[in-house]
Amino acid sequence: MAHEDCEVLYSQLAARGVTRRDFLRFCGSVAALLGLSETMVPRIAAAVESAALKPRVPALWINGGACTGCTESMAQLGSPDVATVVLDLLSVNYFETIMMAQGEDAEKAKADLAAAGGYVLVYEGTVMTGFDGNALRVAGKPQTEELPELCEKAAAILAVGSCAVDGGWVAARPNPAEGIGIQQFCEDHDIATPIINLPTCPVNPEWVVAMVVDVLFLGGLDEQGKVAQALVDKLDDFGRPKLIFGQTIHDNCPRRGHFENGEFVYEFGSEEEARGYCLYAVGCKGPQTFTNCPIVRWNEKATWCVEAGAPCIGCGNANPLSAGGNWVDVGAPFLNRLPDLPLSDTTTVQPAAAASVVGAVAAGALLVHGIGMKAAGRMDGGAPYEEIRESDRKKGGGR
Amino acid sequence: MVFVLTHWINLIAMVCLAFSGFYIHYPFFPGFMGVARGMHFFFMFVIIINLTFRVVAAFFVKTAVSLGSREVDTDIKNWLPQKANRRQLWPWIKYYLFLKKDHPLGAKYGVLQKIAYIVTFPLTFIMAYTGFAIWGPTMDWAFFTAGVSWVGGYMYMRVVHYFLMWVFIIFTAIHAYLANVEGFAPSALIFAWKESEGLHFDKEGNPMSGASH
Ligand code: HEM
Ligand code: SF4
Ligand code: SF4
Repeated sequence: MAHEDCEVLYSQLAARGVTRRDFLRFCGSVAALLGLSETMVPRIAAAVESAALKPRVPALWINGGACTGCTESMAQLGSPDVATVVLDLLSVNYFETIMMAQGEDAEKAKADLAAAGGYVLVYEGTVMTGFDGNALRVAGKPQTEELPELCEKAAAILAVGSCAVDGGWVAARPNPAEGIGIQQFCEDHDIATPIINLPTCPVNPEWVVAMVVDVLFLGGLDEQGKVAQALVDKLDDFGRPKLIFGQTIHDNCPRRGHFENGEFVYEFGSEEEARGYCLYAVGCKGPQTFTNCPIVRWNEKATWCVEAGAPCIGCGNANPLSAGGNWVDVGAPFLNRLPDLPLSDTTTVQPAAAASVVGAVAAGALLVHGIGMKAAGRMDGGAPYEEIRESDRKKGGGR
Repeated sequence: MVFVLTHWINLIAMVCLAFSGFYIHYPFFPGFMGVARGMHFFFMFVIIINLTFRVVAAFFVKTAVSLGSREVDTDIKNWLPQKANRRQLWPWIKYYLFLKKDHPLGAKYGVLQKIAYIVTFPLTFIMAYTGFAIWGPTMDWAFFTAGVSWVGGYMYMRVVHYFLMWVFIIFTAIHAYLANVEGFAPSALIFAWKESEGLHFDKEGNPMSGASH
């Protein structure tokens, strides 16, 4: 690429106080997230540089039943940062929370793009199907009315945050709004648009940036503007990028040594906590939560949950096609080892309590039975054997 | 004889698995997690190999048709329902509920006993399945992830595994109780290979007078 071409991007970066060195370091971390070797860094840089010259890729950011936490999470990239520059290469035509346009203008921009197709649909929040879709009305209509077309015409759907993936906490019991994830919604409407699921509550902006680079700049889209098979192959059974969600928190946790040594925090405010022991006994969900939080970390790599002293509450757990598989139903109460099991919409029981009751009943029954056996004089070799089977006797056999 | 050995292995493995399982579930004292997990991972293979061997051997090894009898048959035949078990389910239930005074006739194992023993085989394999589904090295195999998504995630798989432990504990309690409540002859046999006078019916389940023959 001609030197002048690069200048377009670098002047944009410079305007934000980002040096070339920062930019290359950024490309290195994206390469790591995408599982590419160091040698690919120049290719990523070149791809981003050339993208800066091309017309920007259209995108729609659609909010479902969301707390806008994921928007906030992206917006914390507000300090001058390479990632924001990369995201600027997307032309986000509709973004309720932060767009300038409003009212009919905004709705028209959305409708025009939906008619044209070929955009990236970023979905944040839960699809609210309850009350015939009236649980969430957008521009005077249930959102579920416009959603099929928006999903159908998109080149790819990026489900950001647990809510978009499987309903998240919004869909937790008793879920009166009948919240579901965008993948379930597409499945219900026979929509085949590829979906990339990025759970956690909120979504980690670094992953979004990495996926945008992968989809848009590194050939994730084929000639028809659809997501290439190569990209789909990089997703796991739950539609999540394997590289980001391939290992458990526990696998990479800095407190893992304490776990193996059996050094646990049993109570907050204790000496064990001060020593930074493992948080397993206070309900850490790290052993069954698949994300790379310990490596990528949060808040511009400042820290992350376990390092900051809180047990992982398993917000990266996702089960897009299973009702009740959202991370809250699966993980709450967060400080207990095992989750509450639902008996009804409003009552729950802890597994250990349920098991102890059943165990105690069984033990009691055996005891009572034993007393009966003793009373019946059967302890010593049992009662005498019948001389003939009951069924044979009834048939008139025997005596 | 060979089954005295498998029973011992089974017992030791089960006790170790249940104890280490309890500890993994909640580390009720510090300093033992590495050992507990090592123990669990070792004995989980022991129990699977032992059980598989036990099932295969059942097709070849002959065992007595009833306690104390000299007459033998392939073990599997003594396991599966036999002619002598027919129509005896209800009498056995009545017997244990004190609704029937005399002992129902049976084959080597009574009907209830057979149902219980036959169910433990698939149960142990389900235990192994749920265990491997939450075991690091195997948890992402498609064979296991299918089950994981069916129960609603890894967390619920752990709950299932935990509940199954209780099923085993309760089974073991009932099993030990019934085996010994009418005398310790079965225990003497399975732990020390000491034969006893035995039961009082032959292979066909017909009453016999008194001792072994
Ligand atoms: C038969 C093969 C078995 C396999 C492959 C297996 C495997 C496992 C694994 C991998 C774990 C998780 C350990 C960890 O994350 O550090 C576990 C936990 C556990 N196992 Fe097993 N296990 C088996 C049998 C048993 C048996 C027979 C019992 C009890 C009778 C048992 C009771 C438990 C319990 C209570 C836990 C803790 C569950 C929790 O609260 O998370 N397991 N097992
Ligand atoms: S703090 Fe959590 S993730 Fe870290 S070692 Fe302990 S249980 Fe595993
Ligand atoms: S460490 Fe656990 S709770 Fe924290 S963000 Fe990661 S998955 Fe969520």
